[in-house]
Amino acid sequence: MTLAFGLCLIAIVALSLLGLPIGHAMIAGSILYLFVKGIDPGTAAEQLLNGMYSSFLLLAIPLFILAAEFMNAGAIMDRLLRFCNALVGRFRGGLAHVNVVQSIIFAGMSGSALADAASSGKLMQSLMTRDGRYTPAFAAALTAVSSVIGPIIPPSIPMVLYALISDTSIGYLFLGGVIPGLLIGASQMGLIAITARRRNFPVEAKIPLRELPRITWEAFPALLMPVILFGLLYSGITTPTEAAAAAAAYALLASVLLYRSVGLRDIYNSLNTSARITISIGMLIAGAMVFNYVVTVENIPKSVAAILQAYQLSPFTFLLFANILLLVLGCFLEGTTILLVIVPVLLPTAIALGIDPVHFGVVCVVNIMIGLVTPPYGLLLFLMVKIGQVSLTELVREVLPFLWAMIIALALMTFVPEIVLWLPRVFGYKG
Amino acid sequence: MQSLGAWLRRRAENVAAAMLAVMFAAFIIQIVFRYFFNFPTGWTTELTVIMWLWLVLWGSAFVLGEKEEIRFDLIYSAVRPRVRIGMAIVCALAIIGLYGASLPASYSYVTFMKVEKASYLKIRMDWLYSIYVIFLVAIIVRYLWLLSRLLRGEDPEAGTDPTKVSSGL
Repeated sequence: MTLAFGLCLIAIVALSLLGLPIGHAMIAGSILYLFVKGIDPGTAAEQLLNGMYSSFLLLAIPLFILAAEFMNAGAIMDRLLRFCNALVGRFRGGLAHVNVVQSIIFAGMSGSALADAASSGKLMQSLMTRDGRYTPAFAAALTAVSSVIGPIIPPSIPMVLYALISDTSIGYLFLGGVIPGLLIGASQMGLIAITARRRNFPVEAKIPLRELPRITWEAFPALLMPVILFGLLYSGITTPTEAAAAAAAYALLASVLLYRSVGLRDIYNSLNTSARITISIGMLIAGAMVFNYVVTVENIPKSVAAILQAYQLSPFTFLLFANILLLVLGCFLEGTTILLVIVPVLLPTAIALGIDPVHFGVVCVVNIMIGLVTPPYGLLLFLMVKIGQVSLTELVREVLPFLWAMIIALALMTFVPEIVLWLPRVFGYKG
Repeated sequence: MQSLGAWLRRRAENVAAAMLAVMFAAFIIQIVFRYFFNFPTGWTTELTVIMWLWLVLWGSAFVLGEKEEIRFDLIYSAVRPRVRIGMAIVCALAIIGLYGASLPASYSYVTFMKVEKASYLKIRMDWLYSIYVIFLVAIIVRYLWLLSRLLRGEDPEAGTDPTKVSSGL
C-alpha cells in the first residue's frame, strides 16, 4: 500500500463521514490518488466512461426497477395482499404472516428491498395497526425484515452487481437465491408463530374457500410475472437484460390492460421514479468503477489474498471471517458500496480456497441485505422509522429477534453450500 | 430565479424519464426483431448503453436533489447547524478543488476520443462522452452555488430523506 493509496482512502472515508454523497466521495478520492501518484487525471474520466459504456449487464438494473414500478402503478398491492390474506390470514398472527408472504411473492417481481418496503410499507402499517392489533413498532419492524427477502429471491439488483464483479452467470446466481430466500421467510414465519402465542396476536376473519378462485384470479397477472421472467431466463430465449426488459413490458401491459387503473401520468411517474433510483445507484457504480481502478493499480485483492493465505485459512474459517466482516461493515456502510468495493477484494481469496463463486455471491448478498436492518446505519430502518412513525430504538428492539433468526439462516446457508447450490445444479450448474 | 431553477429542473427530469423510456423501447425493439423476425439489431444495444451512461451522469448533474443522493448522514444530521455548515464547506471545497483540477485532463481525454466512432450508430465518441465534461462542470457550479449559500451561514439541514433515497438494494 502506497502513500497515495493511503491518502485516497482517508479522503474517501473522511468526505463520506462529512456527508458528501458516497459516489462523489469515491470519484474525488480517486482523482486525488491520480494527482499524488502522478498518473494522468483524465484516467478518472476514462475509467468511468469506458466502464459504464461497456457494462451492458448493468442495464438489467433500471429495467428490473421499472418492472416493479409498473407493477406498483397497477395497484397490484391491494390484490396481492387480499390473496396473501386468503392464504395465511386465518392463522394466529395472520397479518404478520401476510406481511412475510407478500414480501416473498413481491420478491419474485422486484429486485429491491427498499422498493418492497416503500411500496407495501404504508398499506401494511395501516392494516396491522388498525384497532391496535399490533404495535406500530412491531408492524414496522416486520415490514423491514421481510423486505430483506426481496433481493435474495430473484430478480435481484445486488446479484446483478455481483455477477458483474465476479463474472458469474446471473441465471445461476438468481437460482441460488431461491431457497435461501424461502428459508429466511420460513424462519420469520416460525418466529411470528412463536411470538403470536406469547403476545396473543389476533386472527383474521376466515376467507370462505369458494372465494379463493376469484381472489387468486385477481392476483393472477401479478403472480404470473416471476414465471414469465424465469421462463425467458432459463429457456435461453433471451439474455438476462432482455428478460428484464420483457418483464417490464409485461408489467406495463398487465397494469394497463388487465387492471385498467393506469394512465399516461402513472406511466410517466413510474419512469420518473425508476430514473431517479437508477441515477442514485448509477452514481455509486460510477464511483466504484473509478475507485476500483485505483484498487487494481495498487494490487489490493492480490495482497489481501496473500496475507490471508499466509494464515493458512480453511474455507470454513475464511467464510466465518468474511461473514463477520460483512455483517460488521453492514452496520456502518451502505450496501451497494460494500458489494462494489469490499466484495471484489475478498473474492480472489474465496476462489483460491475453492469456494464456489455462486455460493459466495449469495452469501455476500444475504449479508448485505441483513446490513439494511442493522443499526446504527440501515437504510430499511430509516425508511420504516419514517413510514411507521416510530422511534429508531423501538424499531430496533422489535427487529432484533428477527435479526438473530436471519443470522442463523445465514450461518446455515454459509456452511451447508447445498442450500444455495442445489437448485442451480438441478438446472445444470457445474459448480 | 428560483422559479426558473425549478422549471429547468423539471425539464431535466423530463429528459431523464425520456432517456429511460428510449432505453426500454430499444430493448423491446431488439427482442421483437431478433425473435419474431430473426433480424438482430446491433444499434439498439448501442443505444441502450448510451442512454444508461447519459441517464446516470445527466441525472446526477441536473435531476437528483441533495436529499436523494446516497450518503452516510449519521453524523451530518446529528451535529449542530454550525458544525454541519463547516462540514459541508469542507466537502464543497474538496469537490470544487478536485473536480476542477481534473477538468482540463478530462476535457482532453474526451476530445481525444473523436478518433473513434460508435460501431453501429456512427456517432463520434467525443460527442457521446461529452456528458462527462458537462457533468463535471455542472457539479462544480452546483457546489460553488452551495458554497456561497453556506458561507452566508445557510444551514444545509439534515441529509437524505429516507423515503426518497434508494440505492436499488
